[in-house]
Amino acid sequence: MLMLKLAFRNILRNKRRTLLTMLSMFGGYFLLVLSFSVQFGSYEQVIKFFTKDSTGHAQISEVGYQDKPTLYAAVPATDEFYQQLMAQPGVTQATSRIVSSALAYGESKSFPVRVLGIDVDKEADMTFLKEKVKQGRYFNAQPDVDDYYEVMIGASVAQQLQVTIGDEIILISQGADGSIANDLYMVVGIIGTKDGQEARDVYMPLAAAQDFFVMPGQSHYWAVLTENYKESTALATELDQWLVDQKRLEAVSWQVVADEFYRTMKADIDGGYVAYYIIIFLVCIGVLNTVLMSVMERTGEFGVLKAIGTSPRRLFALIVIETMLLAGISCLAGFILVMPFNYYVASVGFALPNPMEVSGVIMSHMRGLWNVSVFLEPALIVLGSAAFISIFPALRAARIVPIKAMRSL
Amino acid sequence: MKPVIETRNLSRHYGAGDTLVKALDDVNIVIEPGEFTAIVGPSGSGKSTLLQLIGGLDIPNSGKVLLSDKEISEMSGSELSDFRRDHIGFIFQAYNLIPVLSAAENCEYIMLLQGIPAAERKERVYKMLAEVGLEGRETRLPNQLSGGQQQRVAVARAMVSQPDIILADEPTANLDSQTGMDLLDMMHDLNRHEGMTFVFSTHDPKIMERASRLIHIEDGRVIKDERRED
Ligand SMILES: Nc1ncnc2c1ncn2[C@@H]1O[C@H](COP(=O)(O)OP(=O)(O)O)[C@@H](O)[C@H]1O
Ligand SMILES: [Mg+2]
Repeated sequence: MLMLKLAFRNILRNKRRTLLTMLSMFGGYFLLVLSFSVQFGSYEQVIKFFTKDSTGHAQISEVGYQDKPTLYAAVPATDEFYQQLMAQPGVTQATSRIVSSALAYGESKSFPVRVLGIDVDKEADMTFLKEKVKQGRYFNAQPDVDDYYEVMIGASVAQQLQVTIGDEIILISQGADGSIANDLYMVVGIIGTKDGQEARDVYMPLAAAQDFFVMPGQSHYWAVLTENYKESTALATELDQWLVDQKRLEAVSWQVVADEFYRTMKADIDGGYVAYYIIIFLVCIGVLNTVLMSVMERTGEFGVLKAIGTSPRRLFALIVIETMLLAGISCLAGFILVMPFNYYVASVGFALPNPMEVSGVIMSHMRGLWNVSVFLEPALIVLGSAAFISIFPALRAARIVPIKAMRSL
Repeated sequence: MKPVIETRNLSRHYGAGDTLVKALDDVNIVIEPGEFTAIVGPSGSGKSTLLQLIGGLDIPNSGKVLLSDKEISEMSGSELSDFRRDHIGFIFQAYNLIPVLSAAENCEYIMLLQGIPAAERKERVYKMLAEVGLEGRETRLPNQLSGGQQQRVAVARAMVSQPDIILADEPTANLDSQTGMDLLDMMHDLNRHEGMTFVFSTHDPKIMERASRLIHIEDGRVIKDERRED
């Protein structure tokens, strides 16, 4: 107790210096909290959006499909399979898709497109596709009165083929049985922008795609969602376990499905760490400087403490305690003051200076994170750095030779 | 009775060759328990060096220091620091109290190092401060006390842990002569009551008169050792 009192009074001795030291730790904490909040908040938002809209949290496909997607790698797309899948623990939503390519013809032009056969209702529930309809309307699962299936096309497809809502397009491709596939479709919607991911896509109802590619009751993969995207890997493992006796099928998480996206994201996060290291480094320099100075100034005093029987270990501890007290108070002050700021960032959010496009949707408004780790991790970093930094001055204090020190009094 | 302090051929040199300074040169002294001894000599004669060697704050070039028959040069760093804590009280010329601790806390500090329980610490501190005439000033910080009062706190701090030996290097040098003599009288009283061994240095003739034994040193050598009746 007396030791703590001593440490506490020592830090109150040079108030200006104490304030300066605390200010650098406070500032470091403050900046780290907001940066963590903004950065990880953005990533969380992007990942959440991307996985929901595009890959799902996990996918079920034929083994090898993820590496080398082919028309022939099929999974069951039956209602029975859907029911079984939905009964698996953690699964909240699932939808099945066929993905292949075709040549599209308009009135006079042709254009290579990606064809997506999707479950019209489930897709509308699960993804943001419906919100991406820029012209026309979201399509129906049933063929129209003339028995044509409805399709939605990407903006580039519309432009290249010079077709618009109400026009027809013809698709030509190959069926899974090797036959030539060709059919006529009604364009009812135009999706996204020319720069978007969907620019070269044609969306058709799953049943239409099954007809077209001759894949009755089949699709290429199931995209599955769980409650929290952070559980994606667990979900994939769980599903993979479930599929264990269907050797042909496997489940993988979105990180595997969209490995390129995942890698860029990770690289971006790692890039962000440089900024953190700089903040931490600056804090450390500031703290080291002031703590070292306060030890040097007290050389004589420490000499006396040692002469009267204070062990080196105790002097070491005194300096560490003093520094940690400073760090603790700084973090506490930082916590109290950064809370309203982070609350604003997390609830109201902020506009991105350079809006980014994620799976076809422009994200220009981001929100920060409001959770324990956003506040706790920076505190641990500041406290940890302070503890580390205090080692050097503490060693210095512990090594003071009493008589030499006392002569300098 | 076995001596509480004994030095054998104690030497401490600084520098080498032409610049060699024999701060202490072959010093042999024996101090019995309860003695009130003054080390006297002009400035630079080696008084501080001798006290520092006895107190284990410095290491001799040759010879040894025995405290209650234990040779301190054979102790490790932490043994020595524990030994100082438990057996030696230091009083310094510049008081050297911990500026952020009150008079009472300064005294308490050593007992804290010794692991004495808080209640006992408090009791002993208050009793000791009363004995040095600082009743009612226990909670003052050093800078709220006069020089003489600060040195009394230092005496109390040195004595409160009940060491065998009190070493005081020119304890009165920073005090005016009346205050200095009062302090010394008080120390002598404590010496008689508590039976602790006091060794202090001075070059002030008036202060020397208070001692019951005078060890004169000059140029690092003992030139005279006289016992006087009180
Ligand atoms: N660290 C040191 N380096 C060099 N010479 C020293 C050192 N400490 C003491 N001395 C020398 O040793 C001699 C004795 O010093 P000291 O014991 O301080 O004398 P006193 O206390 O009697 O004034 C002096 O000549 C002094 O200059
Ligand atoms: Mg001296």
